[in-house]
Amino acid sequence: MNSQPSALEKIIAFVDERVGLKTIQAKMLNEPVPGGSRWAYVFGSCLLFIFIMQAVTGVLLMFYYVPSADHAYASTQYILHEVDYGWFILSYHFWGSSAMVVMVFAHMSQVFLWGAYKKPREMVWLIGLALFGLVMAFGFTGYLLPWDQRAYWATTVGVEIMDKTPVVGDFIARFLKGGPTPGQMTLSRFFVIHVMILPAALMGLAGLHLFLFRKAGPAGPFRGTPEELKAKTDYFFPRQVWKDIVAMGAVFVTICSLAFIEPVVLLEEATPDPGDYHPEPEWYFLFLFQMLRLKIFSGEFGQFVAGVAIPNAFLLFLAALPFIDRNPERNIFKRPIALVGWLIVMTGILVFTVSAIINREFLD
Amino acid sequence: MQPKLKSRVKWADREVGEVTRVILDPLSRDVSHIVVGGNGVGTQERQIPVSAFQSVTGDTVHLRAASSQIGQFPAFQREAFVTIREVEIAHLEDHLDVEPGEVLVPVPELERDVKRRTFFTNLTHAIGALLALPLLYPVLRYVMKPMYAPFDNRWIKIGNVNKIKTEDVGVQFKFKKLVKEAFMPEAEVDKNVWILKASPPVLEQVYKGKDMEFRDSTGQVVWVNKRDFPYVVYSGKCPHLGCGYKWRKVPKLGREIFLCPCHLSIYDPSGKVLDGPAPRPLDPLPIRVAASGDIEIIDMEYKAGVKAQVRIV
Repeated sequence: MNSQPSALEKIIAFVDERVGLKTIQAKMLNEPVPGGSRWAYVFGSCLLFIFIMQAVTGVLLMFYYVPSADHAYASTQYILHEVDYGWFILSYHFWGSSAMVVMVFAHMSQVFLWGAYKKPREMVWLIGLALFGLVMAFGFTGYLLPWDQRAYWATTVGVEIMDKTPVVGDFIARFLKGGPTPGQMTLSRFFVIHVMILPAALMGLAGLHLFLFRKAGPAGPFRGTPEELKAKTDYFFPRQVWKDIVAMGAVFVTICSLAFIEPVVLLEEATPDPGDYHPEPEWYFLFLFQMLRLKIFSGEFGQFVAGVAIPNAFLLFLAALPFIDRNPERNIFKRPIALVGWLIVMTGILVFTVSAIINREFLD
Repeated sequence: MQPKLKSRVKWADREVGEVTRVILDPLSRDVSHIVVGGNGVGTQERQIPVSAFQSVTGDTVHLRAASSQIGQFPAFQREAFVTIREVEIAHLEDHLDVEPGEVLVPVPELERDVKRRTFFTNLTHAIGALLALPLLYPVLRYVMKPMYAPFDNRWIKIGNVNKIKTEDVGVQFKFKKLVKEAFMPEAEVDKNVWILKASPPVLEQVYKGKDMEFRDSTGQVVWVNKRDFPYVVYSGKCPHLGCGYKWRKVPKLGREIFLCPCHLSIYDPSGKVLDGPAPRPLDPLPIRVAASGDIEIIDMEYKAGVKAQVRIV
């Protein structure tokens, strides 16, 4: 064997001495996963992957996109119809946003069902909730940017809902719209929020989320004696990394397929005259949209209840959850209220979403 | 007490070797084994579980076994372990007590006489806040610039009454409104309103026997719609959450009404809410009709979703 280090090895050694790469890499990969790797743990990594791809495709879209009321629509159409593979980049970004929301629900459900929000992981859960809010804000602000009818009306209704917040609602709505009605200022504001403020906030909070997660350590399964867990424990690398990579691959293939099968098609350019278009938000806001149609949420107070009070109360409840539910029991089958609660929320969202879709027929 | 590195190892009969390494359990984060090597142990270090301990005192580990039994303990295999620097285990340091005493570095000379460290910490924060505070107001004003635009009371010509054939039927008038936003050149924006040639009963329902006044932001009356004037114009914006509503035949009701497709608010020709979540009737706008039949309106907008009419444009 040749004992002289090669040039490459020397370079690596040089960098490692100054950066400590090998230690960092070892620390990143050598994290014991109590009870061993599982497919149930892939969602967080998938979210990180989807976010990175959204950042990449988003930056690519900005090569052509112009955030102005008279050019946003034309530049988006240009990306879709003129730029080589523009339709693919835009459609990937579009479907990626849906994938992000689906994955957030999966991730939160997993953490909830596994009881992983409990002590000592309360802060991880809280930061996670903030990240959930950011993901929804990404979806909402990004939706306006193509400046077609769909975009314009989803934003109009969405901002009107925020307007119903007591005391600060009017200010928030005017701040977001940059005036009394949606227009150029709205587009400018949504653009800067979507491409600067939210990504910076998400990167910071996701970093904090990971840091806190590593500090608290993975929760592991909710069943099994310490001996059983110990016997099955492995490091993050390679088994969990392998599962994560496979899941990311599946997510990637799914998003690409959706982009191929259902590429983005814009409606007419945005105007305050909806024409024949029936405004509707993106599918993950449909349940809220449908809820606002209910008779019990009619009138000024009803709208406040459905549009502002219920969603915010639910988020507040989730934030308070680790402090209310102090029982260390993590097994979901021994937490009947949690299990039933989760089922009710999921069923509720599903029922409202489906009924919103069924309602479309009634309108045509 | 945790066994310490370099501790002597006392077997049942005599002292053989010293603690060369300590092994931790990654889940319980407690010491699970020690590695014994050195004097008298031979070239092969041995891995001894804490269950074999008699006791741990100061710098000595007492074992129950006799030194002759050392061969019964498994040989230590370095490749089966990583150091704690190469692994990430939460709160490992809190459970770790194997450092051979404190490891210290001196405080710099200049720092030794600084008694008021808290004061300086607070002062640093205060200076930071003083740098940021003066920016708050300018930044707020900066982002608020376009938020409260003055009302636009211009009359806009939107079409002719000869388009309206039947009484009490909603007719949509589309028009272009000139909008000047910030730095942008003045642009035409598509808008629409609904106009009704109202029969006397409907007119009565709209005006409730009173003329309708329209005001500027200062409260000054800009225009008055006379209660007997037959043409009524409704803002195209649904008072629920601002969508565009339509004039639709609803089979269930057996007649034509205004329907908003967003949240399914339904209004009768007088603008009254028949069904759905809307908090108030449709918003009438100022209208005047020239002798030629040309219709002019002031395109006001009201805040959606509130019971009272609050003008925003």
